[in-house]
Amino acid sequence: MTILSQLNSPAMYLICGGVIAVVALICVVFMIRAYRAGLAIGMDATKMRRVIISSTTFTILPAVGILLGVIALSGALGTPLPWLRLSVIGALHYETQVAQGAAESVGLSGLNATEMTATAFSTITLVMSACIMGGILMSIFFTKRYTKRLGSSDSKSGGVAGGFGDKAMTAMFIGLVSAYVGNYVGQLVSGEGLFTFAGSWTPIAVMAVAAIAMAVFLYLAEKKQAAWVENFSIAGSMLCGMIAAVLIG
Amino acid sequence: MNNSFELYNARTHRIGRLACALCAVLFLGAPFLMGAVLGGKPDMAAFGRALLAVGPVWIISSVAEYLIYTPMLGAGGSYLAFITGNLINMKIPCAINARDMVGAKSGTAENEIISTLSIATSSLVTILVLALGVVLLLPLQPLLQNPALQPAFDNVVPALFGAMAYKYFRGNLKVAALPLVAMCLLFTFVPSLSSATSFMILPAGGIAIAIAYMLHKKGAKAQ
Repeated sequence: MTILSQLNSPAMYLICGGVIAVVALICVVFMIRAYRAGLAIGMDATKMRRVIISSTTFTILPAVGILLGVIALSGALGTPLPWLRLSVIGALHYETQVAQGAAESVGLSGLNATEMTATAFSTITLVMSACIMGGILMSIFFTKRYTKRLGSSDSKSGGVAGGFGDKAMTAMFIGLVSAYVGNYVGQLVSGEGLFTFAGSWTPIAVMAVAAIAMAVFLYLAEKKQAAWVENFSIAGSMLCGMIAAVLIG
Repeated sequence: MNNSFELYNARTHRIGRLACALCAVLFLGAPFLMGAVLGGKPDMAAFGRALLAVGPVWIISSVAEYLIYTPMLGAGGSYLAFITGNLINMKIPCAINARDMVGAKSGTAENEIISTLSIATSSLVTILVLALGVVLLLPLQPLLQNPALQPAFDNVVPALFGAMAYKYFRGNLKVAALPLVAMCLLFTFVPSLSSATSFMILPAGGIAIAIAYMLHKKGAKAQ
């Protein structure tokens, strides 16, 4: 039995599927509780259903992208582990880099199935799990105090700072997007050497097309009173951007 | 805030902590179980070396993510998001989009509910898509790995941020201009920072928040 067939064995699917099922159950519990709590405080059920529909459409395309990450990693790690890692806790950009680094640290020349052993595999898996535990551990020990503190500072801050919370959140998100846009611009201009303009312009073109598509969706939603369009605006804009990427090639 | 919501919040923390602890045990225990099934338990010396080699940057990054994103997501949303992962490329934009769609204000009960609903839905859809994908992996593989379609999947994140950029920049040009220009210049002059983009969110966010605060203060004085 080759290592890859061992990694793709029913027992491995059972372990990974079991963990994923537990996480799915946790999501269902949180979802039902939130929905009921929303009704209890008088929130509009239609509004909550809109959030569910919009979040569903929003997620499908990125999830297909993540599925490609599962396929990419399955050649070296089998299918069950990447399936587990990318269904829960993991992140597309994180898994490949950590798996690669961990493989080198355990003595493999890189992440490949030909050199993989059972010990190397379980060690790589443990490294991948341990390195991303920060968020979960911080949540266990600090979220209650942290969110309480955020809540109390919000309620204490009257006057100038009062009502600034929303603007701060939007500003933080603008910072997040700015960092990524800056990265794409930097890669185009200096990615292949300072000011050579030899880097890839595809990400910037994709961003531009997605932004134009979003402008059209928002125009339809706001000016033509087609509010339902907003549910699909992100997914639709992304699809336009991704089609542009295929056309650019 | 009424009593029923305070009770909901208190229980959310209890359930959230339990869920996180359970998941930590499962995520860290699974490699040992897999090792037992495969006949090769983790080599703890090699694990220590690997942790030292690749761990610090990701451990610091996950702590920074916690500090940045918890205020955006609220209690229920953040417990779920840190269990289910894919924050920057999926959960955060999804929750922010949902919040803005219904006009929920941060720190309110409504925001807490919307954020939790949005992240739970997004997580379940991801789990479902991946499970279907794994079941259909063989028949789907030729289609998904078709070289003609690769650029589309290589550019999911730029497509997402292009759409989000328009949505958030259009009403906040004064806030967005400086961090955007600063980040473009920084990544142009130091292109090697590309591998540390997630860390650069902190200074970019800091600049944006400072400008937003100044504008907020100015607006309050004018009233």
